[in-house]
Amino acid sequence: MKKGGGLAAYCGLLYGFLYLPLAVMFAFSFNDARRNVAWKGFTFKWYVSLFQNAELLAALITTLELAVATALIASILGLLSSYAMTRHAPFRGRAVYSSLLTVPLMMPEIVMGVGLLSFLVRARIPLNFWTLACAHALIALPYTAGSIRARLLSLKDSRLEDAAMDLGADEWQAFRMITFPLARPAIVSGALLAFTISFEDFVTSFFIAGIGIVTMPIKIYSMMKFGVTPEINALATCLLLFTVLLLAGNHLLDRRQKTL
Amino acid sequence: MSQALSWLIRGRSSKASHLLLAPATFWLAVFLVLPVASLLILSVAQKGPYGTFLWSFTWANFARALDAKYLPVLLRTLGYAGTSTLLCLLLGYPLAYYLSFFAGKKRDLLIILLMIPFWTSCLVAIYSWIIILGREGLLNSLLLRLGIVSTPVAILNTPFSVILGMVYFYVPFMVLPLYGSLEKIPRTYIEASYDLGAGKAATFLKVTVPLSLPGVFAGCILTFIPCMGDFLTADFLGGPRTYLVGNLIQNQFLMAQDWPFGSALTSLLLLSLVSGLYFYQRLEARELEME
Repeated sequence: MKKGGGLAAYCGLLYGFLYLPLAVMFAFSFNDARRNVAWKGFTFKWYVSLFQNAELLAALITTLELAVATALIASILGLLSSYAMTRHAPFRGRAVYSSLLTVPLMMPEIVMGVGLLSFLVRARIPLNFWTLACAHALIALPYTAGSIRARLLSLKDSRLEDAAMDLGADEWQAFRMITFPLARPAIVSGALLAFTISFEDFVTSFFIAGIGIVTMPIKIYSMMKFGVTPEINALATCLLLFTVLLLAGNHLLDRRQKTL
Repeated sequence: MSQALSWLIRGRSSKASHLLLAPATFWLAVFLVLPVASLLILSVAQKGPYGTFLWSFTWANFARALDAKYLPVLLRTLGYAGTSTLLCLLLGYPLAYYLSFFAGKKRDLLIILLMIPFWTSCLVAIYSWIIILGREGLLNSLLLRLGIVSTPVAILNTPFSVILGMVYFYVPFMVLPLYGSLEKIPRTYIEASYDLGAGKAATFLKVTVPLSLPGVFAGCILTFIPCMGDFLTADFLGGPRTYLVGNLIQNQFLMAQDWPFGSALTSLLLLSLVSGLYFYQRLEARELEME
């Protein structure tokens, strides 16, 4: 046996455990049975009924809009803060900012959910699309800020910007033509992570979505609560493919960043 | 205008830095600090009629959280979260070890494969586990067919299924920090240990494991905290006997409308988080001193 062969076999088993639910979901999305227990033959009908379900499509559109808004807000916040942290002269409180920016990562989702609910309701801030997008942006902020900051730090110092300014560019031109293009892969990759976070988020949305907003995860939750339907498998398979595409895109960006 | 912009971009003055950080600070204040503060304040208020609050200071909500009715829920949550964390560590360590020492070229791919289940909706994974573990589910039909059992066994809605769900969700949270700290171990230390005559087992136990402890603690905290706050796993994979603090909190805020009691429970959850992080920071500080 090769070195580490037993260990490799064990890891294979562990990956099997992690992928078992995904495999079951994929297989059963083609199962021609109302109840999900036995294999009754191959069908596409769940996919067909998925695309005819108006409520579901509406939820999908809301979720996509929300994810785009989240990605935009979180990227802007992340770019501004990581620019100040890496390109400005060291200032008092920089370490505090940097640890504050990681706090949302540590918060259990349920604490975020009920905390936001109790605060927003008592402060009479309406629970609407934009409140939810802003809350998602906070959850995503550590990811966008982290990604952009790592990129700016990997470019060591502002030598390129200095050179541009020596050649007559002003600060804004140097930022627009040097810093921003250099940071762009990290901005896009952070935005993709923020998009995914918002797209998958259930707990925070569940607590503060208000009455009018039905996101995809909230819709899935109510489908699961009020009756089992095999449509969920078909829906989940589509969502999984979408997530894999996003992550693959992100990975390719990361790789290009490293070779640059 | 352009002068102000130049000043902001150049950032020689700390005022410019604070100004650029102001939006993020505002976000942190409104969507994190104030919500947590609001929970802490509510936790010592009293519930009034019709969803109002009476603003007189009281510890009653905390006393209620620790009384004979609710204490078992807290202890059960601690037990489940602790068990799941331990299982994640035992299951995840070999994988992290393999990734760091043996995976070679496959490593990047394996790490991405580890992230995909983590990035998929947890609801969907729960739904699949219901199909697998249910009374007429895949596992039961397999056991029946193999003749291991003669009637379907209850697997779903037991403590087992809840802990299985938690382990499933949080193993990646454990593996990644473990892998990170294993990667940091200079390989020369391990060679030195072999050169000095230590065997494989001794090197693993006396060099590799102690040097990976920061990753072990980080992984345990990253696993334990979300397990403590979990309510979805217990909601779908558990039953009435696996009711956890997360379910209780959800109930207080969305059904029972007793926000002060719900806030007290959430504050207790935050307390466990803060003490965990404090413990971790102290260990990390000691680690830095040693370096």
